[in-house]
Amino acid sequence: MRIKVDKKKCSGCHLCEMVCSLFHLGVINTEKSAIRIQKDDLDSSQNIPILCNQCKEMKCLNGEAVREGLEKKRFIWDRKRAERCPFDALTVFGENAYHCDLCGGTPQCVKVCTPKALRISNGRRDNHGMVYF
Amino acid sequence: MVLDRKIAFIDLRDGSIEITPLSLDLREKFLGGRGINMYLLSRYYSSSMDPFSPENPLIFGAGLLTGTLGFGSRINITAKSPESGHLGDSSMGGEFGAELVKAGLSHLVITGKSKNPVYLLIRNGEIEIRDAQKLIGLDTVETQKRIRIELGDEEVRVACIGVAGENLVRYAAIRSGMKNAAGRTGMGAVMGSKNLKAVAARGNLDIRISEPEKYLRYYLNTLKKLMETKWAQALGKLGTPLLFKYANAMGILSVRNNQLTTVGDQGRHLAAEALEPYSTGMLSCFACPAHCRHRFSIEEGRYKGTKGEGPEYASIGSFGTKLGNLDLENIIYVVELCNHYGLDTISTGSYIAWAMELYQRGIIDQDRTGLPLVWGDGESVIEFIHLIANRKGFGDILAKGPFAKKDFGESSHDYLLEVKNFPIEMTDERLPKSFALGMATSTRGACHMRSRPSLDILGLPEEVLKRIYGGSVSNNFSSYKGKGRMVWWHELLNAVSDALGVCRFLTVFSSPHTLQYRQFSRLIFLSAGLNLGAKDLKTIGERIYTLERMMLIKDGFSRQEDTLPKRYFSEPVPEGPARGEVILREEFDNMLDEYYRLHGWDQNGVPKRTTLKRLEIDK
Repeated sequence: MRIKVDKKKCSGCHLCEMVCSLFHLGVINTEKSAIRIQKDDLDSSQNIPILCNQCKEMKCLNGEAVREGLEKKRFIWDRKRAERCPFDALTVFGENAYHCDLCGGTPQCVKVCTPKALRISNGRRDNHGMVYF
Repeated sequence: MVLDRKIAFIDLRDGSIEITPLSLDLREKFLGGRGINMYLLSRYYSSSMDPFSPENPLIFGAGLLTGTLGFGSRINITAKSPESGHLGDSSMGGEFGAELVKAGLSHLVITGKSKNPVYLLIRNGEIEIRDAQKLIGLDTVETQKRIRIELGDEEVRVACIGVAGENLVRYAAIRSGMKNAAGRTGMGAVMGSKNLKAVAARGNLDIRISEPEKYLRYYLNTLKKLMETKWAQALGKLGTPLLFKYANAMGILSVRNNQLTTVGDQGRHLAAEALEPYSTGMLSCFACPAHCRHRFSIEEGRYKGTKGEGPEYASIGSFGTKLGNLDLENIIYVVELCNHYGLDTISTGSYIAWAMELYQRGIIDQDRTGLPLVWGDGESVIEFIHLIANRKGFGDILAKGPFAKKDFGESSHDYLLEVKNFPIEMTDERLPKSFALGMATSTRGACHMRSRPSLDILGLPEEVLKRIYGGSVSNNFSSYKGKGRMVWWHELLNAVSDALGVCRFLTVFSSPHTLQYRQFSRLIFLSAGLNLGAKDLKTIGERIYTLERMMLIKDGFSRQEDTLPKRYFSEPVPEGPARGEVILREEFDNMLDEYYRLHGWDQNGVPKRTTLKRLEIDK
């Protein structure tokens, strides 16, 4: 399971970021969210949601003696893992990185995405994080 | 916490800055946003204060729920208006309000005048006054870009003025992003008079929530219900331009400065569907699920290369039918031009419409204007906007707004359709009587956003209306019956939603199934921990509105200023679906009586002593 992004539909409302931090941390802080919206609001107004691709081969964990299955369920990671992500898909705030744990199976961001830019996908992934149906 | 947000008092004369907490008492009485702004403005307000004097406070106030899951994240900007000379206040969407609260502040009170151009930088609770000399002369979009480059931070959000604000055009706007504007009442001119080019904000402080789990659950339920309404779905697809078709079909549009009220079949050129070829997607303000604004691009023709966000229904009406102009591409370009100069689109269109009617009637001629001022000539409108923003030639006169009456002489006065020295907008209110009353009583002069009970035109069953409004209201929009109650009710609700920072479009405005006090009460309790019931919130609405009224009373206003342009009383609509509609004085007076009674004001429209005492604004 992963969250599929259709960036053309993103309205740039930031609700996904807000509910992500609220669900996991009990606060609203758009920068402590596993999803972030890259927004070019003074030119093309294009918005790009960025979050963990749920890659099969987790390069972010390279060199770490940890169990992938357990780490996948964790929201707060060390920022070093963000530096290893080939897609630059993890949010970094201070010493932490924020990783999409899929809210334990019911992603909150998808629920608030009224333009449907975010969808749950159960497609298969290859080693490059690409998804096939 | 939501309640931790602070207020800053900034004196640009000596650069002093004082940041203090906002008291719980003030929050409980006025919430935030427009509510606290009005409390603050009332402390400074006097009839003799020149809006361009350093003493006039420019007040920024983010709503209590701004920055949270609050259905929009708006900010009100308030001061004495240089446009009307009376109460000034304007609400702005976008991201600036949320960024301010993320930086730990909800309110700014800016007084004094800086010797040199400056801008304010607010970062996580700290405020710095910075040199803005290099920003002078830049348009509103370029100003924001330059500030981001200077600070090396793409996430900075900026509210700024353009050339129009620098040049003290009386209806200059404060702008943020591609199109967000605190447009009406000339707040940009007040900013310009203080030598303040911009306010930049950047924050990433936690907003702690009182009961996070319950709050999220309640929010998701409320969101689901809201998004199931036809209104929210239509808004998200077509944006506010969807209203154009209805206004045209009903005959409530301003056409040629309200000489007509519909363009009939020709309206198809300006309807929401006509915008589709230019739209490349829908965008939202911060924390808004409705995404009601278009992102557009003009790919070919005379205006090729124009891109931005919008245009909204109000701007399409103001530069379209109001000027007899059906060229949508021209309108899009003109709106964009106003946005870059930092001019309010509604007022700019209204003053040009006034001048066009004066030209039509021979009260002014080309010797005066320099260029022909002919209905439908969108190319000339472009030229006049350049002249207004730069205060050149005839534009220097139009830049004075209603104060240009002196230049044009007595015979011009009746053709500026205004209330309380503030111009009527893109619509004509002779048919829907609740709309007419709302224009007459609005505390910032002719303004549809203070009340506009759009529910009136839905023809809902009267028992439904009775349940909503708590009294008998006719479901015929051309009837006067119960409309005083309707306007009173919406004025209070809108005051509360502005104090919360919730967008008008998501509250009871055009649909009865949207948000109102019950939902507000729950959202406030679960996020901020304030226990305010629906009745308490309604009382807060009364307090805000009556306090605004008291400032108008200070200016010498009373019943006789709660009126409408002469044309509304003396000229029946000549043709179209609203043909023959006119405001009957006696019926209008009956509406006013009912309206005053419900507000607790006397027959002359002056708040009674007992009302002031009940609302705790008697000192």
